[in-house]
Amino acid sequence: MNPPLLEVERVSKEFGSGPTLVRAVADVSFTTDPGEVTLIIGPSGSGKTTLLSMVGGILRPTSGRVVVNGIDITSLKRRELPRVRRELVGFVFQTFNLLESLSALENVEIALNIAGVTGQVARERARALLCEAGLEQRLHFSAQALSAGERQRVALARALANEPRLLLADEPTANLDSEAGRDVMALLRGLTESRGHAAVVVSHDPRLREVADRVLRLADGRLASTESDGRTALLEAVASSPMAREGADSLRRVARAVRRSRLRW
Amino acid sequence: MVPLARRNLLSEKARFAMSIAGVAFAVLLILIVVSLYRGWSNVGRFYTQLPGDVWVAQPGTSDPFHSTSFLPLADAQRLTKVDGVRTVIPVYARHIAFGAPGHELDVFAMALDVPPTVRLRPDTYEPRSGTIDIDRMLASQAHVGIGDSLRVLGRPLVVASIHSGGNSIFQTAFLNAADARALFGIDDFTNFLLVSVAPGARVATVTAALHQALPGTETHTSEQFATSFADRVNAGFLAVVGVLVGIGFVVGGAVIALTTYTATVERAREFGVLKAIGASGTFLYRVVIRQSLIVGMLGAALGVASAVAATRLIRYGVPEFITVLRPLDAAGVFAVAILMAIAASYVPVRRIDRIDPAEVFRA
Repeated sequence: MNPPLLEVERVSKEFGSGPTLVRAVADVSFTTDPGEVTLIIGPSGSGKTTLLSMVGGILRPTSGRVVVNGIDITSLKRRELPRVRRELVGFVFQTFNLLESLSALENVEIALNIAGVTGQVARERARALLCEAGLEQRLHFSAQALSAGERQRVALARALANEPRLLLADEPTANLDSEAGRDVMALLRGLTESRGHAAVVVSHDPRLREVADRVLRLADGRLASTESDGRTALLEAVASSPMAREGADSLRRVARAVRRSRLRW
Repeated sequence: MVPLARRNLLSEKARFAMSIAGVAFAVLLILIVVSLYRGWSNVGRFYTQLPGDVWVAQPGTSDPFHSTSFLPLADAQRLTKVDGVRTVIPVYARHIAFGAPGHELDVFAMALDVPPTVRLRPDTYEPRSGTIDIDRMLASQAHVGIGDSLRVLGRPLVVASIHSGGNSIFQTAFLNAADARALFGIDDFTNFLLVSVAPGARVATVTAALHQALPGTETHTSEQFATSFADRVNAGFLAVVGVLVGIGFVVGGAVIALTTYTATVERAREFGVLKAIGASGTFLYRVVIRQSLIVGMLGAALGVASAVAATRLIRYGVPEFITVLRPLDAAGVFAVAILMAIAASYVPVRRIDRIDPAEVFRA
């Protein structure tokens, strides 16, 4: 049994102090395994994005621990966090956040440049990722000339450019129509499984449950419930027994195979 | 490497062009001021073009343009006997009020009493009696040409030739030596003695011998007079030139800083995205500094090219302004413009430091 790729242990985040203190996230714990898609749902203001920012090393928790690929990122110094973000984590944002002055290809290439990969190697890797995302005809289009769905595919390719172990997506379908949203999520699901990384997706869109291995519901910053189409509860129950973990892995693989065959909502 | 800096700048082409023009204008201003200053400083080179090596003068003389001197004419004969002396030319020099049609000009008039054994360019340094040789600038200011008559100290003189040169602060005229003695009223005196050193003789040795032959006088090489002239120009103009050059650099730096800052602030979210996906501070600073350098280098290059063109135009169109654009000055200004561009990145870099990557999660 492999250790979880992501471990979030009793993480809390407070903003302000005294009478203006706001507890955005309170005592949240969960784990994500390689190849698994974890969906965090909840209403606006429930702390989803704050939680995602802490998992990605952008915000520091007030308390608790975040371990990515065996590295406790909460114990790292501030200047060490950019390295975590470019080597271990890939981000997909609600508003795509592409660099408007660059082409689709350059938007992916710059993520590689940031990690020190330059020249033809970077260009070819970026091209391959965009082709994998179905954008071979849009490589040299400026970001502004792409449709919303295409932009999110470019963003996904950028997030995967440095082969991160963990993909974090913040409302990835919020600005897409249902068809484009379905395509992007299918792509995210497929890439997560084929590459063996883990994905944490934050959304208020309940339709995304279809592509998730595990669903966490946040309310007022607290983890209100955990669901997994019945599978996760079972898996978590047996996970307490080391002997049962092998069986749990098998169940997950079966669940993914079933989900691939009915990827729509 | 993705050329993000260039793309950011080119995304606002009009602003980019105006920024380059602004820096170019500042560099042009700096180089024009510097080249005018160099031109003024070089005016004293005039002395080195006269036919002699060492000037003998009364003590306390800086140079013929800025001070005068009186020596007995007979001293010329005494100096011809000094070892190593080839020729001795009595020089008459003073500022005179120059009557031109409709107005009066102040001119530096000289007359060289050239011995018959010395051959000079005809009609240039020793015009015939009753004639005068003036420089092009003086001819232009006095609105006269060859054959016209000018009143010099009450006497009409015909313009026999016009030589090149002259500038806004220093116009020259050459008189016949006999005419000069009569006009200046100094029959038995001269102002300076211009000594040529014989081939093979050392200037320093001859100078020492001249002192022995004429105690109570002082000697200057033509080079020293040129330097003295330049020093006086420096004393008068260097501070002004320094202020103008300083203003030019501040304006240029401000243009670069403003452009880079605006380009950074406008793209603050994108810089935040780069931070969020793991860009180090160094990576982002490089983008900003590259933006500044692109504006600074293109602006400086355009400014230098414009200055070369402008100094040529000035030379032909406004010859009274002597401009000397030295390659070293142009290279220096270019280098300072680059340093200025790097310094101008400071504020935008600080701005980037303050960008919170968490902001990029806000829709």
